[in-house]
Amino acid sequence: MSEEQENPQENRPIDLNKNETPPFGPLNSGPSVPPPFQQPPPFGQFPGGMGMGQQNLPNATAALVLGIIAIPACCFYGVFGLIFGVIAWILGAGDVKKYNLNPSLYTESSYKNAKAGKICGMIATILSVLFIVFVVLIIAGAITNPEAYDKFFKGFN
Amino acid sequence: MDRQLHNFLDWLGHHLFACPFKTHFGFDCPGCGFQRSVLSLLKGDLLESFKLYPATIPLLFIFIYTIVHLRMDLKIGAQVIKIAFAGVAVIILINYIYKIYNHQLIS
Repeated sequence: MSEEQENPQENRPIDLNKNETPPFGPLNSGPSVPPPFQQPPPFGQFPGGMGMGQQNLPNATAALVLGIIAIPACCFYGVFGLIFGVIAWILGAGDVKKYNLNPSLYTESSYKNAKAGKICGMIATILSVLFIVFVVLIIAGAITNPEAYDKFFKGFN
Repeated sequence: MDRQLHNFLDWLGHHLFACPFKTHFGFDCPGCGFQRSVLSLLKGDLLESFKLYPATIPLLFIFIYTIVHLRMDLKIGAQVIKIAFAGVAVIILINYIYKIYNHQLIS
C-alpha cells in the first residue's frame, strides 16, 4: 500500500502531492484520507456510516449483486451459477481482507455488503456444485443402467 | 383494463423461455417452474404460485430488498439479505429433493 509512506499529515507542507496519490478516487474529498494504523480522527469513525474521508470498498456492491444473481443463474446448467458464485466469493473475500488490513479507511456498511456477497457466493457455489454432481451422476447412471434410470424418474407404474 | 391484463398474461404464458437444461437433458432443473410461478403470482394466485415453485416469493423479496438496500443503505440490510439468501437456498434444495422423490422431474 503506497499510502503508508505518507503518514503525518501536519508535517507535509505540500498538500498537492497527497491529493493526487490515492489510488481509488474518493468521492468526497473531505479531510484527506486518514493515515492507516493510527488512531482514527475523533469525529470520523462511528457516528455516520458515511464517514468523511472513508470510502466504499471497491467491489462490495458487485460481490453482493453477483452473489444474488448466482442463484437464478444456477438453473442454466448450473455452470453459470458456479461462475457467478465463485466470482462473488472471490471479490467479497478480497474486500473483506482489504477492510481488515485497515478498517479506518473504508465504510462499515460496504464491509457488511462485501461479507454478505461473500457468503451469498459461497452458498450459490455449493448449490451449483451439488447440482452439477447430481447431473453427472444421473448421466452416468443413464448410460450404464437405463432401466434403473427409467424407474427412478418415471416411478414404478 | 382488467381483461387486457388477463390477455397479456395469457399471451405471456404461451411465450415463456424454455428451460435450456430441460430441452437438452429431459428432466427439470432446480429452477424449473419459476416463470410459471411468477405468472400465477401476477394473476394473484398465491397458493398456485407456491405450489409451482415455493422459492418465488422470497426470491423476489430478495431482489427488491437488495435494490432498496443498495439505494438507501439500510442498517441491517446485509444481514437480512444473508439470512434470506440462505433460506432461499434451503427451500430450493428441499423442493428439488421433493420433486425427485415424487417422480415429478419428468412432467
